[in-house]
Amino acid sequence: MRVGQVVNTLLLREFVSAFFLAMRYFFSPKPTVNYPFEKGPVSPRFRGEHALRRYPNGEERCIACKLCEAICPAQAITIEAGPRQNDGTRRTVRYDIDMVKCIYCGFCQEACPVDAIVEGPNFEFATETREELYFNKERLLANGDRWERELASNLAADAPYR
Amino acid sequence: MANIKVDGQLVEVPDYYTLMQAAEAAGAEIPRFCYHDRLSVAGNCRMCLVEVKGGPPKPQASCAMSVKDLRPGPNGEPPEMFTNTPMVKKAREGVMEFLLINHPLDCPICDQGGECDLQDQAMAYGVSGSRFFENKRAVEDKYMGPLIKTSMNRCIHCTRCVRFTTEVAGISELGLLGRGEDAEITPYLERALTSELQGNVIDLCPVGALTSKPYAFHARPWELSKTESIDVMDAVGSAVRVDARGREVMRVLPRVNEAINEEWISDKTRFHWDGLKTQRLDRPYVRKNGRLQSTTWDEAFATVAARIKQAGNRVGAIAGDLSAVEEMYALKGLLASIGSGMTDVRPAMSGIDPSMPRSAYLFNPTIAGIEEADAILIIGANPRREAAVLNARIRKTWRAKGIPVAVIGEQADLTYPYEYLGAGFETLADLAAGNGAFANTLANAQRPLIIVGEGAVSHASLGKQAGRDTIALAAKLASGANVAEGWNGFALLHNAASRVGGLDIGFVPHNGGVCSADQIAMAGRGELDVLILLGADEYDTSAMGNAFVVYIGSHGDKGANRADVILPGATYTEKSGTYVNTEGRVQVTTRAVFPPGDAKEDWAIIRALSGVIGQPLPYNSLSQLRSAIYAEFPHLARIDQITPGSVGDLATLAGAAIKTQSAPYKSRVSDFYLSNPIARASAVMAECAAMASGMRQAAE
Amino acid sequence: MDFINAALDYLLGIPAIGLGTQIGFVYKALALLVGLLIFTAFILLADRKVWAAVQLRRGPNVVGPFGLLQSFADLLKFVFKEAIIPAGADKILFLAAPLITATLALAGWVVVPVFDGGAMANINIGILYLLGVSSLGVYGVIIGGWASNSKYPFLGALRSAAQMVSYEVSIGLVIITVLLCVGSLNLNDIILAQRDMGLAHAIGVPWLTFLNWFWLPLFPMFVVFYISALAETNRPPFDMVEGESELVAGFMTEYSATPYLLFMLGEYISILLMCAMTTVLFLGGWTSPIDLPPFTWIPGLIWFFIKVTLVFFMFAMAKSIVPRYRYDQLMRIGWKLFLPLSLIMVIIVAFVLQLTGWGWHGGVA
Repeated sequence: MRVGQVVNTLLLREFVSAFFLAMRYFFSPKPTVNYPFEKGPVSPRFRGEHALRRYPNGEERCIACKLCEAICPAQAITIEAGPRQNDGTRRTVRYDIDMVKCIYCGFCQEACPVDAIVEGPNFEFATETREELYFNKERLLANGDRWERELASNLAADAPYR
Repeated sequence: MANIKVDGQLVEVPDYYTLMQAAEAAGAEIPRFCYHDRLSVAGNCRMCLVEVKGGPPKPQASCAMSVKDLRPGPNGEPPEMFTNTPMVKKAREGVMEFLLINHPLDCPICDQGGECDLQDQAMAYGVSGSRFFENKRAVEDKYMGPLIKTSMNRCIHCTRCVRFTTEVAGISELGLLGRGEDAEITPYLERALTSELQGNVIDLCPVGALTSKPYAFHARPWELSKTESIDVMDAVGSAVRVDARGREVMRVLPRVNEAINEEWISDKTRFHWDGLKTQRLDRPYVRKNGRLQSTTWDEAFATVAARIKQAGNRVGAIAGDLSAVEEMYALKGLLASIGSGMTDVRPAMSGIDPSMPRSAYLFNPTIAGIEEADAILIIGANPRREAAVLNARIRKTWRAKGIPVAVIGEQADLTYPYEYLGAGFETLADLAAGNGAFANTLANAQRPLIIVGEGAVSHASLGKQAGRDTIALAAKLASGANVAEGWNGFALLHNAASRVGGLDIGFVPHNGGVCSADQIAMAGRGELDVLILLGADEYDTSAMGNAFVVYIGSHGDKGANRADVILPGATYTEKSGTYVNTEGRVQVTTRAVFPPGDAKEDWAIIRALSGVIGQPLPYNSLSQLRSAIYAEFPHLARIDQITPGSVGDLATLAGAAIKTQSAPYKSRVSDFYLSNPIARASAVMAECAAMASGMRQAAE
Repeated sequence: MDFINAALDYLLGIPAIGLGTQIGFVYKALALLVGLLIFTAFILLADRKVWAAVQLRRGPNVVGPFGLLQSFADLLKFVFKEAIIPAGADKILFLAAPLITATLALAGWVVVPVFDGGAMANINIGILYLLGVSSLGVYGVIIGGWASNSKYPFLGALRSAAQMVSYEVSIGLVIITVLLCVGSLNLNDIILAQRDMGLAHAIGVPWLTFLNWFWLPLFPMFVVFYISALAETNRPPFDMVEGESELVAGFMTEYSATPYLLFMLGEYISILLMCAMTTVLFLGGWTSPIDLPPFTWIPGLIWFFIKVTLVFFMFAMAKSIVPRYRYDQLMRIGWKLFLPLSLIMVIIVAFVLQLTGWGWHGGVA
């Protein structure tokens, strides 16, 4: 027993077997996604950066019902509403999401009766300062305009399961 | 009394009770849309269907069927009603489905969302899908004035609004036109409603068809912090709930208080809230070289203190319409410490003498007591403008009992018919002398109600003596030979929330002081060096001469314009203040939001000022201040209660010698919507006032 | 004048254009320095790549093709960063420490024969010099740790001192066994000895040079040397000096920018030096493993670097597969296992050599 142990120790048996194990891994294919150059698939249900969508005629969808603000568990959404100047319809005058507070739970898009606030496929919106993560209505609408194609196809893809 | 079994539980109720009331007595809840406690029964929503045994075998509308309509069983068993059987549930689900057929699915953009009866009850009785595939009914929205926003697609034709306006508000300006699918609630002519109580239809509407226009889309009920408070727009002291979001008051709603406002409030109370945010004094100001310049509290206090020290006891103080007891008590203490008794809370030329007993300035019969009156005489008041909710109570009494009402003073539409006796003091004197038919009515009345307006006792054009004589004559009329034991029919209707509280704590000339009009006159002659205006804006500020005017208040109104120093105070939503309403009921407001900017609670400003002057007042906190007030005036500690004046005082008052020959009566509230600084700062009130005056011009 | 001429010739001579009789020392030094630094840069990358590969990662792959320029990017980054010197630090010593480490690591390479006679200074006591220089390396660490005036660097430096001193002893004894076999302190001689004698000769297949090399006859010593080399250079699994889970970054905690770069450089160069020593002592240095064409066509320099790289690969693999030792285990192995083992081996080897008369005596059997 002890002799065997000594031999094992002197011949570095464990080290050698670990070495071969490591070599097996060394040559096995790497699962790493070569991130900025290649990207993994993103589910249509992915909950990334928020966006406020518009109707095809350019009218903003959000009707200031404040359900997203009410459901938001992190209280990241702030809405101020009122009748719009030109036609008196119910619109937000302020729609802020504090992306620092946001926990990306997706409740806001679940709560939205008009699919206005959605969490899009974009997750690359890192900023240099915290202030840039306080999204206002303009920014969110701009996101909506930029991602509309993906957002619409994602919503369509997920629609049968709702 | 009749016995009835509600869901198997035997209850004994008066036989005139409806099945709904019986169910409520048994603790069973019945859903409803059209039924309302304070309105007549319509029975047109059918949501309150129940199953009965001992009546027709079909579902019955419980709001419209009495307990006595049901037969007992063959062996004398009590009749039964069921509120939770499958039949009832099916019937209600059917009703709900019909209601929802034409109700739009626009809850997300509906202001009623979150506090909607239909929404709530659809959760209990609604089905998940609709079987209706035709087009929904579409109804044009109606114009109902600057206060009520309509969305008639949502209307479920409960007719609560129609019944309220005709029954309580006394205007026949809303109606249900058409039949079946074409039925519409309409103001007929697309004109603004003319009632001072129209805002209540917003609360009554069980759906989002009638919503508040100024509040439109601004907040959701779940994000508002609700504070129960007291209204100070008039001397009635209606119970209100102040809904605030963050640092902003978003709306004011009524609370139920059977003794005062039942569950109505006037439009001024409901819609003045935008005035709480505009024209606010949020920094101290000091006048330098003729211009008001913002400054620090320290400098403002130092300036005031220097002038007061210079002035010795030549300092006067006038409290305005919205002052709470606390700050008036503190200000009185401040003046006492420098040897001045020049305090006044009364309007100029008031007939209410400091020497008079308390019952001389109270609405002695109480507001709820109006319903017991069997004859009403209104002297120099327009209760519709001065106390709209109280006027609704008079109308309610008139509708219930058809009692005779007479008016001396201005003629106006009071929403109920009255006998017009005359315009001024001479008519009153004539009546008191026993001339005329109404004198007989009063003399025979067991519970005569003599409402004396401020326009008859405190009006610049009257003079003090006429006011005093009016009180004497009214007291005489109230103490007729047939008056029931314990009934005090003398009712002074004040116009300002601060009045009775100020009179209660003696914020009147004492210790050699003079009344408000004389103070202003003295200031004009240079005999008064410093004049402190505690939110006083209803006085002639142009006549104050070179006096150093200190304005403590919340809004940049008349007083602040004249002021040499402005110390920014808090409104009633921003402080806890004691107010005594016209009945003598002590009530306390609650802070809903914080004062804007540097503004502070008024009593704290006065306390701080007293420290700078070197005569610190002996209290450092609101509770210490209250303790001091309660020690001196124990009746103020009885919150929400009335400490009545003595009935015997009437004889004393009536015994005063009459010196006046003639004087006209004129209501002091010329414009209902603009009667105080907060209302004057409100854009909504301004719009209403413009509309009302335009209407009046058009009518003339 | 002759003296000056000789000196210039020695330093700057270029035989081809008649300026001197030998290649100037300065050129040789430059060639060594540049070659070494470039080699180090790639070795650093290789280290990270190997580690990543074993962990099924890709490792650095953005800068340059396959991330080959990563080390140069890092170098630029370190150079351009702000060098922060802690307020309480001894400024001179703080900056001297990385210089000492880097300089000493480079100095060791002077005597390493990268091909036949390829040492810049082919001195007789090369191995002794190497031992001395690598022992001095501990000063950089200790000074750096102390000068930082901070507790983690200080603890790291203390650990380092004890660790390096401990393994210095067994390394010394291991080298003695080799020296007993060779009979010379010259590194080139050690390599020649491995070419000219040994097992392959004994069994009659002299072209199987790799059997001649000392790793086979002195196998236990080879293992001890390999492990001690890991410990001597603070490589995992013996990187208690930097143990980030305990000491943040050990003696380098307070270092940043260029001083940090110098420390890293010194560390990796001394690792390479250890690899080179292993190559020289046990793997036949620049000799080809099989003394037949086509192996003999490949120049010795290439063989040397192949061997060094292979040894370094083992260093990197050790980092990948062995968890970090506890400090007491480290000291136990050093003093209670390796020291007696290598002492015994010295005696055994000495006995065997004495009794059999084997050994290489300057090429004279």
